[in-house]
Amino acid sequence: MKMQISINPRLRIHPNPLVVVLVTLMGIAFIVAMVRYVYGIGAISDLSYSYPWGFWISFDLFTGVAIGSGAFVMAATVYIFELKEFQPLLRPSVLTGFLGYMMVVIALLVDLGHPERIWYMMIHMNPTSVLLEIGLCVMSYLTVLAIEFAPVVFEGLKWQKFAHFIHKFIMPFVILGVVLSTLHQSSLGSLLLIQPAKLYPLWWTPILPVLFFISAVSIGLAMVIFESSVSSRYFHRGLEIHLLEKLARAIPIVLAVYLVVRFTQLTLANDLHYLLNSGLMSILFWTEILVGSVTPLILFSLKRIRQSPNGLLTGSIVLLVGMILNRFDVSWFAVRHPDPLTYIPTFMASNVHYIPSLPEISISVGIFSAGILAFGLAARYLPLFEDEEKSSTALALQAR
Amino acid sequence: MTDIKNIQHKAFLFDATRCIDCRACMISCSVENNIPMNKTRIWVAGVGLKGEYPNLDRASMVFHCMHCEEPDCLSACPVGAYSKRPDGPVLYDSDKCIGCRYCMNACPFGVPHFDYDKGLIQGAFIDKCTMCPQRIDNGQEPACVATCPTDALMFGERADLLKEAHARIQAHPDRYVDHVYGESENGGTSYLILSHVPFNELGLPNLGPTPVKDVSEAVMGVTIPFALTWGAILTGVTVGVHAYNQKKEAAGEKLVDAESQAQETK
Repeated sequence: MKMQISINPRLRIHPNPLVVVLVTLMGIAFIVAMVRYVYGIGAISDLSYSYPWGFWISFDLFTGVAIGSGAFVMAATVYIFELKEFQPLLRPSVLTGFLGYMMVVIALLVDLGHPERIWYMMIHMNPTSVLLEIGLCVMSYLTVLAIEFAPVVFEGLKWQKFAHFIHKFIMPFVILGVVLSTLHQSSLGSLLLIQPAKLYPLWWTPILPVLFFISAVSIGLAMVIFESSVSSRYFHRGLEIHLLEKLARAIPIVLAVYLVVRFTQLTLANDLHYLLNSGLMSILFWTEILVGSVTPLILFSLKRIRQSPNGLLTGSIVLLVGMILNRFDVSWFAVRHPDPLTYIPTFMASNVHYIPSLPEISISVGIFSAGILAFGLAARYLPLFEDEEKSSTALALQAR
Repeated sequence: MTDIKNIQHKAFLFDATRCIDCRACMISCSVENNIPMNKTRIWVAGVGLKGEYPNLDRASMVFHCMHCEEPDCLSACPVGAYSKRPDGPVLYDSDKCIGCRYCMNACPFGVPHFDYDKGLIQGAFIDKCTMCPQRIDNGQEPACVATCPTDALMFGERADLLKEAHARIQAHPDRYVDHVYGESENGGTSYLILSHVPFNELGLPNLGPTPVKDVSEAVMGVTIPFALTWGAILTGVTVGVHAYNQKKEAAGEKLVDAESQAQETK
């Protein structure tokens, strides 16, 4: 007898290997987070009495907010200064900003001892707390970014009316967004002002908020160049090289201001002697200055570099690495905590040294992967990269 | 001695030359405040033996909350979980705490401790010395002071204790470092310390007379005026740029019109 075997057509998924990796990393982070919620932060991290803040704060909060700065820089350029030519770069930067801030919030939901109470910031306010300002700014700015990005979603859903409706009222939100960004980008520096006894004098200065704001502008510009370069490669689309070239011209100016302010401050505070004779701290300082400021300043001053796609990508990566090192220095590497071995009883198991544990890093990696995945999905399903002429942003700008 | 209940400005005085490192204060604190075995609100720093036989020396220091006159933890806490009682104690309210651990960063003495071993259900909170309000409000000394066998820890009116401390230094200038730690450090603390070795050897940070929170509070003070000014400037720029661009556009259109008219007349 002949057997009849019929195979039902099954749903076949041919996943992109990158997506598989990202989803796996997200899954790992989710499991680790569950362990943290049941057994406590100590179960998955190396944080201790002497190191209450570690990798999560340096990477997710400080770096996440920093790389989100492209959103307010581009919003100010396109809407406030009406440099409409840069408008094709606006949407991806707003999305990066939104995702960067989401990364901050999700990481805080792991890092906070009581994530379910995060909204207490809105009912019990302590006006002297810098952290309160950052918390409220991030909450409201996330809302503003959602409003700024909503037209893209509505266009993707073909709800043009809603998109136009939001565009009509976008200006107050743009201005609010720039004010909020200025506030919390600088307040991130103010967060460390309360540690004059702990933060190394090469970094601790009353003008930390000013330095943070200036560097945030340079990070924003570099981030726009970086994400345009990468997404043009990955999604095989054209690169708006003439726009990026113009944008890159601003970077040396911003970095020059940054360097002048920073070294003037060190001179005035009489801290110049720390530059050469403080061992590891001197090395960190010079690495950060050379990689984050001096090298990109030189690179982006050269027309040849600004006009080549590889030059733009390299320059922006160098700047980002150096400036992210700055955020790590300020929030972690240059913070001298009291040495607990001399006075904390050994049974309290407090660590003198802080080395982030693998599960701790996996949380951040998982959240970052989610961000990349979300950007990829948006690039695929939403009109993220608009044509210069027929987008609703362009129409709205013309109609005004 | 005046009744402890009536002391206007309660404070501790610790004399490192009297401490014998018996750690009875740690035991009594944990018993009084029901602290689990693997935690403590009070701890004793041991510098270890110094010098060569027969001139050996040893110093130890009892650490707990300094109860600063201007607490940095109170300034830093985003949700106002800290409060300072007018008579001295700095208190913490776990019902408001969100567990951000910014107070641990802010405190220059590393006093607040966090429950790293507790999950969401048990609730992870900050723990720190409270100056035993349950005892001082009943006219008793805090547990650590009541237990101390050598009077290395004393409790009383801050001004009286300062007088006492300076008197001890004057009586034995060869024995003490000529300074009362906490008299001016960090804006003054309610925990005064006398020592025969330099204070940083006991593990105390070198702090100025202004509290570490001062700069950050000054910056926070200008935040709202700055935000309003900055918002106004940006609005002005937006309106200005838009008006300028429209004027330029109109001028350009006029030019185009004039040109086309000129062509028509030809």
